[in-house]
Amino acid sequence: MTEAAVAKGARERILAAAVERIASDGIDDVRIARIAMDAGVSTSLVHYHFETREALLEQALEYSFELAGDVRIGEEDGSVPNHTRRLAAMIDQCLPYSGELERDWILWVELWLRAVRHSELRPTAARLYARMRRWFAEAIVAGAEAGEFDRSADPERTADRVLALCDGFGVRALLGDVPVERAREEVWAVIAEELGVDPAPPRV
Amino acid sequence: MSPRPRLDHVRRPAILAAAAEVIRERGLENTRVADVAERAGTSAPAILYWFASKSELLTVALTAAEENFYQQLHASLAELGSARERIVRLIESSTGTGDYDAALWIDLWARALRDEELAGIREQLDLRWRSTIAAIVREGHEAGEFRKTNPDELALLLGSLLDGLSVQIALGDPAVTPERARELCLRLAGRELGCDLTGHPVGAAA
Repeated sequence: MTEAAVAKGARERILAAAVERIASDGIDDVRIARIAMDAGVSTSLVHYHFETREALLEQALEYSFELAGDVRIGEEDGSVPNHTRRLAAMIDQCLPYSGELERDWILWVELWLRAVRHSELRPTAARLYARMRRWFAEAIVAGAEAGEFDRSADPERTADRVLALCDGFGVRALLGDVPVERAREEVWAVIAEELGVDPAPPRV
Repeated sequence: MSPRPRLDHVRRPAILAAAAEVIRERGLENTRVADVAERAGTSAPAILYWFASKSELLTVALTAAEENFYQQLHASLAELGSARERIVRLIESSTGTGDYDAALWIDLWARALRDEELAGIREQLDLRWRSTIAAIVREGHEAGEFRKTNPDELALLLGSLLDGLSVQIALGDPAVTPERARELCLRLAGRELGCDLTGHPVGAAA
């Protein structure tokens, strides 16, 4: 393995370890020493890759959301049109289904918490949201062009609504107010009405 | 000498107000009894005379802060003549940057994930909020202003949309201004209730 590859490996291991620690310990209680231990590296290597604790936290959050952005859709199913299924799969990615998504969700809440009190983190939060907004808006435009979605729906406004509903229902699902399946149905019902599609969420 | 404060009935509200301020500034986790004592102009033992623990102090402070919010909200709603105006006012009061304490709610959500007691408080406070919304929806049904929908479900839906938007407002996301948030909520609520809520602004709100 080249030096560069080894270095890349270490950096990713540190980020992955940081992500786990933020989720389990909370963003305020994260300790560099623990992350280093989890990643199997020295604290000085962590400092080499990430100048400050803030830099590590920011990049760890970005890293986990990068991974989440890769939406896989299953086999093509003749009964449900493509863009509709894709949109449903995207919404699923934004809800706290147990496992990695739930872990990511906890990170998301920690990001909010920290960004509210530390304005340096707000540009990161804004950037992540902007990316998700674009992601959804593009999917909606594509669906409208393909004739699956109502053309009169404003993609930006719909994207805003999707994000806000996923956040609001997602928090409630995470806290146990509603089961995550219900959260999915509720988010989908609102969006479906705007886009003129079947209010029952498609199986993806 | 006895630590019992002399003006008992005056002290407690002052302590709660001080606690609410400190919590707002420092967050739940970083609020220490000593900080609250300093803000209230008293001593830590005096605080602990009234509250068995920091946990109890936080619980009561949060509930008291919410109480203030509801008093102001209900006073404001009472001025209005229709359920339609009231739902608009409610939405406006929770998408402004002043009235609705989004930072505190985010703090509560994050802590509730790790602390059972705070999880219980959060749930109670949330149920109160949702039943406030549901009550206005019911009034609107009865007065024939709103289309018939399930009030509790609409309260959950509107509450969730408001929560999601308030996060982005609290984070100062340039794409989600209070005005845009308000518009999104008014449109959604209007569609569910079968009436136009966006056309007629209701008095001056934050």
